[in-house]
Amino acid sequence: MVNFIDVLDRAASGQMMIQKDFDVKVFIPALRKVLKNYDIKWDKKTAVNMDDSLADRVFEAAVDFYSEVGTYITDTERVIKFTKQEILEAVEDAPKEAYFGEGPDRCVMKGRLPDSDELAHCHVGSGTNTTEEVALRLVESYARISKAKTISIPIINTLGHIRTAAGAPTEIFAGIRAMQYGREGCRRAGRPGLGIIDHVSSCASGVASIAASAPQFGARPSDGWLVAPFAELKTDYSSLNQSAYLTAWGANIGQEAGPLLGGYAGGPEGLAIVNTAYSIHGILVIRATYHLIYPIHMTHVCSSVPEVLWATSLSTQAIARNMRVPYYTLLYAAAGAATKMYFYEALACLLMLIASGSGIEDVHPGKARITNGCTPVDMEFTCQLGHACKGLTRKEANQLIEKILPKYIDQIPHPPHGETIEECYDLDYFKPKPHFEKLYTELVKKIKDDYGIELYKY
Amino acid sequence: MATQEAFNKISEAVVDGDGDALVEEIKSIIDGSDPLEIIQKGMMPGLKQVGDAFGAGDIFLPEMLMSTEAFQEGMKIIEPKLMAEGKTVEKTGTVVFGTVLTDVHEIGKNIVITLMKTHGFEVIDLGANVAPTKFVEQAEAKNADIIAMSSLMTTTMTYQKDVVDYLREKGLRDKYIVLVGGGPVDPEWAEQIGADGTSDSAVGAVEIAERLIEGKKGGK
Repeated sequence: MVNFIDVLDRAASGQMMIQKDFDVKVFIPALRKVLKNYDIKWDKKTAVNMDDSLADRVFEAAVDFYSEVGTYITDTERVIKFTKQEILEAVEDAPKEAYFGEGPDRCVMKGRLPDSDELAHCHVGSGTNTTEEVALRLVESYARISKAKTISIPIINTLGHIRTAAGAPTEIFAGIRAMQYGREGCRRAGRPGLGIIDHVSSCASGVASIAASAPQFGARPSDGWLVAPFAELKTDYSSLNQSAYLTAWGANIGQEAGPLLGGYAGGPEGLAIVNTAYSIHGILVIRATYHLIYPIHMTHVCSSVPEVLWATSLSTQAIARNMRVPYYTLLYAAAGAATKMYFYEALACLLMLIASGSGIEDVHPGKARITNGCTPVDMEFTCQLGHACKGLTRKEANQLIEKILPKYIDQIPHPPHGETIEECYDLDYFKPKPHFEKLYTELVKKIKDDYGIELYKY
Repeated sequence: MATQEAFNKISEAVVDGDGDALVEEIKSIIDGSDPLEIIQKGMMPGLKQVGDAFGAGDIFLPEMLMSTEAFQEGMKIIEPKLMAEGKTVEKTGTVVFGTVLTDVHEIGKNIVITLMKTHGFEVIDLGANVAPTKFVEQAEAKNADIIAMSSLMTTTMTYQKDVVDYLREKGLRDKYIVLVGGGPVDPEWAEQIGADGTSDSAVGAVEIAERLIEGKKGGK
């Protein structure tokens, strides 16, 4: 694989162009070309792709596309490019396993094939906004979920009455505090070695992320750091600085990206290719040891709609069949927490991921926009489903999703707001409040009756 | 004198995002035509069609972007004649638009800007990582109607408040419509900081901008 130092050299010496030209004259035409050349077409009838040859064509298209487009560096206004040979060599050499955590909590995340009978990696948590008052208890509640192999910890964006600001010293303090809550929450749950793999979600800037990652605040190289691009296929020195630091430390680096359906990627076909290209970018530019994708529909701001499900299933399979890198997916529900609609959306999303070969994370309620809007019940549901549906095939997933979609699809434009964790969950007793427990118990029964999936209730 | 057929071809070229065809069509009729008429009867209907198709979910950003790029190519041919004849294009309003300080995410902003252009707004794109004072300075310099700010993260949306605060300090708050948007932004935040509106979709943002501009022009 091309050495990281050589990649950085290309960031400083590659072709120079303005960002708009990269979008309009490079990215869009190259994507249109591969969509045509590889005959990628959205199959509106299925939520989960079942065509292996199409998945392989998406991978080939992504290789062609990325070799033509590369990654744009906003600081230098240059493009890092790789030949097809360099890309294929990198795919071959990329880590196929990522190890997280320590002691009894140590685990491995591996690539997994579609229709596989291997258990999907169960990741829980929420790198979403949380008030400081509940942050510690919330992490403890995540870590108590015994089937969870790794966790994400919440974003803290207040220090007492002060709102933190990106690039300001308050961001560094918030990052450090989140890190400390994360580790302490795991300790309190009796899982001190649990891998936290969304460092440092409270920090937007590279300098704050690196500062908060100093070992004295609790971070370990066996945790994981997510390094995000900008839409689409752009990064900057702030992100590359994180990769440089983490690479030198020997820490796990996660490539994360949330391409927009309807954005530069265009429709579902383009989204499938861009999702896949991000993993190539991740291996070569970010030096990723694991991968996270979270595609979203531009208008609905969620992932549970058929076109996003199909595109995600297709790119997941393209990556699983051709790259086998450690990979998990975060999807977003339109409905808020503690609503029936949320669980149906989550069910459709997770079944698609399990059958397609991805690791799973709890689907985030309310488009992940509600402070304290994720609950441990969502996470327990995710892990139970991952275990209950081990070995689910794409055909079976499609049959189930076909029945589930009508339960929520008409409500996507106007979903229920749902509740916050304070309203629906008791963080002293680590259990849902009676009204939520009742809703969940009824739902578990309905899921068993209607779809034959057996989960256990609270 | 340009015919309806010529206007239709111009409109089609805009819809197709075909800058070369558009320039060719404009060149073929511009000498004997009113430049404003070329815009109003040929280019704008095409652009409106594109905006409507985007709003309906029939097309996506790439198609819309190619159309607005083609439109700009066409305007390069028309503008000298407009200036020579002392004519100006009527616009819906003028917007200064940027992603706030320390935030480098531009796609949300770029989608809304592109859609605004299809609805006749003149948009001054300030780019990303824009200092609060620059929003105000540019709004003043461009005689803008709207200041629009995008922010993807909770740790950067706080700078939206700084812009509103600065407008108040300068006694300029009532002069501008202030719109905010981005992943974590919701109506409660907009209200809390004293912005005039927000939306979680590009279509919604443009609808709000049009409604508030209408109110402003009507003196409401």
